[in-house]
Amino acid sequence: MNDFLTIDKIHKSFPARESYLKVLDGITLRQGEGEVVAIVGASGSGKTTLLRIVAGLEQPDTGAVALRGKPVTGPGPERAMVFQQFGLLPWLNVLDNILFGLRPAGLTKDEAEERTHDAIARVGLTGFEKFMPKELSGGMQQRVGIARALAVRPALMLCDEPFASVDTLTRQTMQTDLQKVVRETATSVLLVTHDIEEAIFLGDRVIVFSSRPGRVMEEIPITLPKTRDHSVRTLSEFQELREHIWQRLQSKN
Amino acid sequence: MAASAVQELGGDQPPTPRKPLIQPGVISFLILVVILGGWELAGRFDLINPFFFSWPSAIAKAAWVMLMNGQLFVDLWFTGYAYLIGVIAACIFGSALGLAMGWWKTFGQIVDPYVVFFSAMPRIALYPVLLMLFGLGDMSRIMIVFIGVLFPVLFNAYVGAKQTPRLLIDVARVFGYSNNKLFLSIVLPSSLPYLMAGFRTGITLGMVLIVVAEFFGGSSGLGREIAITATMYKTPEMYAWLIYTSLAALIIVRATDYLERRALAWT
Repeated sequence: MNDFLTIDKIHKSFPARESYLKVLDGITLRQGEGEVVAIVGASGSGKTTLLRIVAGLEQPDTGAVALRGKPVTGPGPERAMVFQQFGLLPWLNVLDNILFGLRPAGLTKDEAEERTHDAIARVGLTGFEKFMPKELSGGMQQRVGIARALAVRPALMLCDEPFASVDTLTRQTMQTDLQKVVRETATSVLLVTHDIEEAIFLGDRVIVFSSRPGRVMEEIPITLPKTRDHSVRTLSEFQELREHIWQRLQSKN
Repeated sequence: MAASAVQELGGDQPPTPRKPLIQPGVISFLILVVILGGWELAGRFDLINPFFFSWPSAIAKAAWVMLMNGQLFVDLWFTGYAYLIGVIAACIFGSALGLAMGWWKTFGQIVDPYVVFFSAMPRIALYPVLLMLFGLGDMSRIMIVFIGVLFPVLFNAYVGAKQTPRLLIDVARVFGYSNNKLFLSIVLPSSLPYLMAGFRTGITLGMVLIVVAEFFGGSSGLGREIAITATMYKTPEMYAWLIYTSLAALIIVRATDYLERRALAWT
């Protein structure tokens, strides 16, 4: 495995009630280029905090993150993020929301529009360019969120519980669709979720996180075929993985 | 991604709801006719004292005369331009200052006590001071509108900027927006509902202030005309000026409503 993304001995605490709450306790991870790594853990396991540190939205107390050997000190265009609550700007339509993500890149107008239309097509939103976020369902809003991240053509796409705010029926379709678009664009993805099936379905590797403080309990390579459809959920291998991870999450360490 | 998972565009036109037999607007108009008719008759037959109450046809005649001899437009312009300058300046300056106070926390903390002090002061109480400083000219009227409108606009902008959703700030930062760019592309638009609420309050307060300020003196203006006609017991003219003032206010409020709906269509 190459060292595309390196996360080294990350510690992070937050102030809480005149004391400190340790949320990340010495996280070390490696991710290869083109790999989809899914971190699964309970709420409060610090997995979102880890993702925010990789995004550059927060600084670790100690430890370091580097992408392609370059230390992460703040947000950067080589990392894009998909947010749990979508994070669309309600005053901009679908097209402008995606263009919003591209503006700091300083592209020409033509190139920005070409990339936007490409991203819109990839997430299946063609025809909805002029719609406002409030006119879209949650699932469609998240499609815009994914398109906005894709359009910047990031080396690493960070997904923070991307389908936790989407209803169950839509969620499975969107997981299949996300997997397809990630494979098509050969994007590396670091995904955080509390949904065990989602982690197995999307991940090349699943990292099981313990809670309070967050620690890496186990790393599980997923040997299912790279391109998966809904039917893999019924494979006994899938079921066994799900049961195994569930057991690990129940045990405290 | 599969397009099948996405809603289809297009569909059947929903049925139009049936209209009521009599429009509420028609009933409102009929009630107005009854009131005006009753007032007219009461005035003509001395059931009310015409010296204080006049009657609709006399008021309409007075209103017509002002309209035809152009006196209405002289006063409308005199009040209107001072009002507009004061309101627009206050909306711009108040928004900028309030948003900056909400966004740059330290700046907000420094300015906050001054804002609290001045906003507690009854605005019209400042008018004698302004008269002393600027005389009876336009400047004193512009300033009373400016100061009066400034604080509601500023407070709403301040709250609006502070309420900027954390999520949207994170989104902009992840995509590489600097703090200053973020102010214009996130803080300003996300505060727009608050700004509009402040403008609405300011715009109505400004109308009260300029009319009251004109009671104090000056050469013309809607407030001045109401005060003069009242002291001279030119009752029909007084009511005519009152109606024109209300109509002008109504138009401004309606225009604000329209702008607000356009600006906030996304909410």
